[in-house]
Amino acid sequence: MTRTTGTTGNHPGREPLLAVRDLRVEFGLRGQRSTQAVDGVTFDIQPGEHVGLVGESGSGKSVTSLAVMGLLPRRGVRTSGEVRYDGRNLLDLGQSAMSKLRGRDIAMVFQDPMTSLNPVVTVGVQVAEVISRHNDVSKKEARDRAGDLLKRVGIPDPVRRLKEYPHQLSGGMRQRVLIAIALACNPRLLIADEPTTALDVTIQAQVLEVLKELVAETDAALLMITHDLGVVAGLCDRVNVMYSGRIVESTTRDVLFSQPRHPYTGGLLRSIPRLDSPRGEPLHAIPGSPTSTLPWTQGCAFAPRCERVVAACTDQPPALTDEGIRHVRCHHPLEPTDPVTDARSEVAR
Amino acid sequence: MTGDDVLLRVEGLKVHYPIRSGLVLDRTVGHVKAVDGVDLEVPRGRTLGLVGESGCGKSTLGKAILRLAPVTEGSVYFDGTDVATLKGEKLRTMRRHLQMVFQDPLASLNPRQSVETILTEPLKAHGIRYDKATRVRELLDQVGLPTSAALKYPHEFSGGQRQRIGIARAIALEPQLVIADEPVSALDVSIQAQVLNLLDELQERLGLTYLVIAHDLAVVRHVSDEVAVMYLGGVVEQADSDALYATPRHPYTKALMSAVPVPDPGVEARRERIMLAGDLPSPADPPSGCRFHTRCPFRQETRCHDERPQLRLLAPGHRVACHWAEEIEAGTVRPHEVTAQEVADLQGS
Repeated sequence: MTRTTGTTGNHPGREPLLAVRDLRVEFGLRGQRSTQAVDGVTFDIQPGEHVGLVGESGSGKSVTSLAVMGLLPRRGVRTSGEVRYDGRNLLDLGQSAMSKLRGRDIAMVFQDPMTSLNPVVTVGVQVAEVISRHNDVSKKEARDRAGDLLKRVGIPDPVRRLKEYPHQLSGGMRQRVLIAIALACNPRLLIADEPTTALDVTIQAQVLEVLKELVAETDAALLMITHDLGVVAGLCDRVNVMYSGRIVESTTRDVLFSQPRHPYTGGLLRSIPRLDSPRGEPLHAIPGSPTSTLPWTQGCAFAPRCERVVAACTDQPPALTDEGIRHVRCHHPLEPTDPVTDARSEVAR
Repeated sequence: MTGDDVLLRVEGLKVHYPIRSGLVLDRTVGHVKAVDGVDLEVPRGRTLGLVGESGCGKSTLGKAILRLAPVTEGSVYFDGTDVATLKGEKLRTMRRHLQMVFQDPLASLNPRQSVETILTEPLKAHGIRYDKATRVRELLDQVGLPTSAALKYPHEFSGGQRQRIGIARAIALEPQLVIADEPVSALDVSIQAQVLNLLDELQERLGLTYLVIAHDLAVVRHVSDEVAVMYLGGVVEQADSDALYATPRHPYTKALMSAVPVPDPGVEARRERIMLAGDLPSPADPPSGCRFHTRCPFRQETRCHDERPQLRLLAPGHRVACHWAEEIEAGTVRPHEVTAQEVADLQGS
C-alpha cells in the first residue's frame, strides 16, 4: 500500500483529517505553580496516514493524545489551541457531543490492557457495548459482531472468550480485545498510546501485526504514541519527535532515520543498542536526564544535555523552522549529511 | 565448554514453587516449575546474558543463585563452593561476593535512608572497617555521581541516578559476581545507554563478572560475551554473543530475534519475520517433550511432543536444545504456519 509521504503538513488542496494547532495543556490548581505539559504543539494527520508521536516520559506525548480525545480532567487543567476534526474544534465540544464522537470517529487503545478493561464485566459485554452505543442494533446482533471482531484480532475460540472476564485472558489477548473495541465502529482515526509497551517481544510483534492489518483494512488513520523508535520505523509514515512539551523535529520516517537534524533525535538514534550494530564499543549516551531541562521561554529545553549547544541556545527559544522536507526546532542542527546511521546500515547489509 | 577459570557454575538447578489449595488442609496440588533443570557457566571477568520473555524463569534463576529464592534441586558452585547447600553464617559471608542490581531503583532503595547510609550499610553488615567519608566518596565517584549526593535521599534523584546508587551499593563490598536483573528496563531510552556504559566501565576497572538478566535482546547483546536464551524454565540455546545473533539455531531464538523492532525503516521493510502464534504456556503445566513444541513453526510429528531435547553442542561454544537443529540449518525441515487456535488446542487452555 503506497501512501503519500510528502512534506510535513503541507498537502495543498487536501483537508487533513485531524489538525492540531498550537495545543497547550497546563496543569495546576489556581494558586499553585503550574506545569506546562504540552506547549504549543502543531501537527496534521491526513486520512489513512500513520503518524508517530515519539518522546520519553514527561515529554507530553500522552497528554497530547488525551487532550485530542477530550479525556483530561476538567479540574486544574487548562487547555487552549485548536484540535480541528471534521470542521469542528474538538476542544469546544461539550461532553455529550464528544462522547458521540469517541469510539465512533476517533478511538483509542491504551497502554495497560488490565486497567483499561472493566474487571467485573465479561469481554463480550464490553465489546458489544461499543457496538450498540454507536449503532442501532439488537443485543443479539451486537454480540455476534463482537464475536466476529474477536476473531478478526486473532483470538482463538472467540465464542468461549466472549463469556470470560479480563483476568482470564493473557496480556496479549487483552490488548487484542482493546484493539477490537477500538475498531468496532470503523473509526477514521485510531490513537494508540504505547499499545505494546507492557507486552513481551514476540507478543508485541503479534499485536503490532494485527494493528497494522486492521488499520489497513478499515483505512483508518493512526496516531502512534511510543518511546520505541523501532516500532515507529516499522509502522509510521511520518514522525513527530517531542521533547519537554514541544515538537522538536517533524518529518517523514525515512528522512528522520537517515538524516536526523535535531541533536536530540540524532542522539536517541545513536544511544540505542541495536541487534545489528557492531558490538564492543561504548554506546553514545545522551548526558543528563529528561528532567534537567531549561524552560522553553529562556531557550532550548534540550540545551543542558546537548553536545552542539551554542550561545543562542540558552538565551533565545528556537522556533520550529520549515526546511521543506522537515520541520526542526534548533539553533545549531546536525548537518543533513552527517552520517549518523550510515555505518550501521552497512553492517545491517 | 571447559573454562579453566569458571567463577559460577550452575548444575541442574530447579526451583519449583508449590501451589497450595484449601484453607484447612493446605494441600499441595501441584508445582510451578519456574526453573526446571538449568546448567550454566560464567567464566571469571566475563558477562553472561540471560534473555527470555516474562515468565520464563530468568529472574527466579538469578535469585536462586543468590539464594533469594529456594533451590529445589541442583547445585550452584561459586568459586568451587556449592552455595546451594550453605547455611547461616557461611551463607552470609559468601553473599559478600555475590551482589545484585535490581530493576526498579526506587523500590529497591530505602526511601528513609540517605545515600551515605545506603552505601555503608553493606559494609557494616559484613563488619568491614572503613572510613565513611572516603569510601562513600570513592563509590559515588566510581558511578559518576557528585560527592554532594551522599547526604541526599533517593527521591531527590532521577531514575538514572537512582540506578547508579543501586550499582554503587552492589559494588560497595567489592564483590566478584554482580547479578543485574533488568538493570535498564525501568529507565528512559536516553538514560539506558549511560547505565550500560557505566556497567561496562566498572567491569573493566574492577574486574567484575556479570550475569545480566533482561528481556531486551539488543541490550543483552550489547553487554554480554555469551548469551543464554530461556524458554519456560529451561535454557534452549547458549552461545557466544556474536554467534548467537548472527546464526540463531533454535526456532525460539530465531523467532525472538525477528520480533525485535529495529529503529531503521530499511531493515524493518526487508527483514523476514517469524511470527509466533499464541501465548506462553503455563509453567504449572508445561507441555510434554520440548517445551516449545506447542508454538514451534518447525514442529515435527515425531520426538518434539514426547522427548525433551537436551542442550547439545552444535558448533564450538554453541549449544542448542532442539531435536531438529541440524535439519533446520540444512533446510530439510521447513517452517509451517501455526495458528493461534492450534496452539490453544495443544496447550489445552
